Amino acid sequence: MVTRDDVINIARLSKLYIAEEELDDMTKAMGDIVKFADTINNASEEGVEFDNINNLRNAFREDEIVPSYDRDEILKNANDIDEGHFLVRKRV
Amino acid sequence: MQYEMVAGFETHVELATNTKIFCSCTTQFGGDPNTHCCPICIGLPGVLPKLNREVVRFAIRAGLATNCHISNISKMDRKNYCYPDLPKAYQISQYDKPLCENGYIQLSNGRKIRLNRIHIEEDAGKLIHKRGDTYIDYNRGGVPLIEIVSEPDIRSVEEAKEYVERLQQIMRFIGVSDCRMQEGSMRCDVNVSVRPAGSDKLGTRTEIKNMNSITFIGRAMEYEFNRQVELIESGGEVEQQTLRYNDAENTTSPMRGKEDANDYRYFRDPDLVTIEVSDEEVDELRKTIPELPFEKAERYVSELGLSEKDAANIAKYRKIAEYFEAASDGVKNPKTAANFIIGQIFRRLETEDDKESFEIRTTAEQLKELIKLIDEGKIKNNLAKTTLEKMLDTGKPVTEFVSESDMADLDENALAELCKKAVESNPKAVEDFKKGKQKAVKSLVGFVMKESRGKADAAAAEALIIEIIG
Repeated sequence: MVTRDDVINIARLSKLYIAEEELDDMTKAMGDIVKFADTINNASEEGVEFDNINNLRNAFREDEIVPSYDRDEILKNANDIDEGHFLVRKRV
Repeated sequence: MQYEMVAGFETHVELATNTKIFCSCTTQFGGDPNTHCCPICIGLPGVLPKLNREVVRFAIRAGLATNCHISNISKMDRKNYCYPDLPKAYQISQYDKPLCENGYIQLSNGRKIRLNRIHIEEDAGKLIHKRGDTYIDYNRGGVPLIEIVSEPDIRSVEEAKEYVERLQQIMRFIGVSDCRMQEGSMRCDVNVSVRPAGSDKLGTRTEIKNMNSITFIGRAMEYEFNRQVELIESGGEVEQQTLRYNDAENTTSPMRGKEDANDYRYFRDPDLVTIEVSDEEVDELRKTIPELPFEKAERYVSELGLSEKDAANIAKYRKIAEYFEAASDGVKNPKTAANFIIGQIFRRLETEDDKESFEIRTTAEQLKELIKLIDEGKIKNNLAKTTLEKMLDTGKPVTEFVSESDMADLDENALAELCKKAVESNPKAVEDFKKGKQKAVKSLVGFVMKESRGKADAAAAEALIIEIIG
């Protein structure tokens, strides 16, 4: 059972802003998602190889350089930056 | 009581691929902070890592060169820990199905240091601590690493140093890494414990993290060994912990209590599919493993007649070994080439890095021409040495410095003439010699060598001079 407080807490941890009027819808949606994920517990594991369920092997990439991103793009989502670095401030 | 050291190594080696392990950013060392980055290597949500084929090949080659069994099936796992150098809060590594297992490295004393495994993983970013704040550069994040895990088979500091050196040489020879410890492309965690000599039980170990110099590894192990012995002797117990080595004070200090494997909550990375390597592919890669330095050194001794020390010194560096082989190929006496390399050429290559990059102006072919003239008796050793110096200074061939007349043999009459002249023009030396100062004759021989521009046979000249003085 997902509560409004759970959603507020998760939003805070994920650094997401959720408006007051969105909370009820969001709480119901989160509840549905968790319920859906729960259905996996009903599946039988008998005779199933989980290690390689999609039968894919050796999905490789060739060793060829592609230009990296602009640093401004890389740092765009950082909370704090300085001198081209991500910055983690001293905790008091 | 006598104590014995028991040590094992976890060695991280950065692979010399062009791109990172899961994305196409460059692995180049340095660069402005955070300019070799993309959403994959800074761990943004929703991105899909894709394994670099070359990483798998390099790791298999490292395994083959260290006598490992290559697993046909292996997989990638997530190792969870929370620290800012790891933007995803997990490192993609290999847990229970590494690529390579059960290898060994043999030391010169014949002991085999067993390797438990070699697995592939991603490097973390670099943290710079300034005024209590932490600056993060993710350029190194996602650079491919192999971690080489040894069994606790090492029994002394000397064995430890040789183990690291051999590992370094092997990885350089097969070209999977430059293993520059000062740039961090090779780093060692060292596990040390002590036990009463002769016991076969393992004592409680401590782990010294992130050592990046062979000298410091030796000092840190020495310190840690003594610290543990003193602790036990005074009735204490060694605590299992992770240590940091402080090179300025030559001490170790605790970093944190040792986390158990369980704390990392390893689980399979669902984004990366199974790695399957066929026996054919392994055989193909086996063919690319060149003759390794110790194999070369052994051959130089048994087939070319070099001393063990000279052989080891030449075989240690890939480029120098290749140069020596080219310069001595088909000459009468390969030792001449070895002597020139260890004498005249090594004097110009002071540091290990100089020897590793081996940039000199004289080609192996040019050196061979010089050696052939010695083989044919056309020039004497002294002249050859000074000529080689000139060749090394300029990069020009031997014919630029040695003329036909230099090469013409000094006939007996000419030699006798020069010896006579030496005796006549150096009465002081002759007097000294007559008084019993044996060394004085050397200056007379020197005179002859100088006059003949190095062509005279020094031994013959000495005999003649002594005869003249009577």
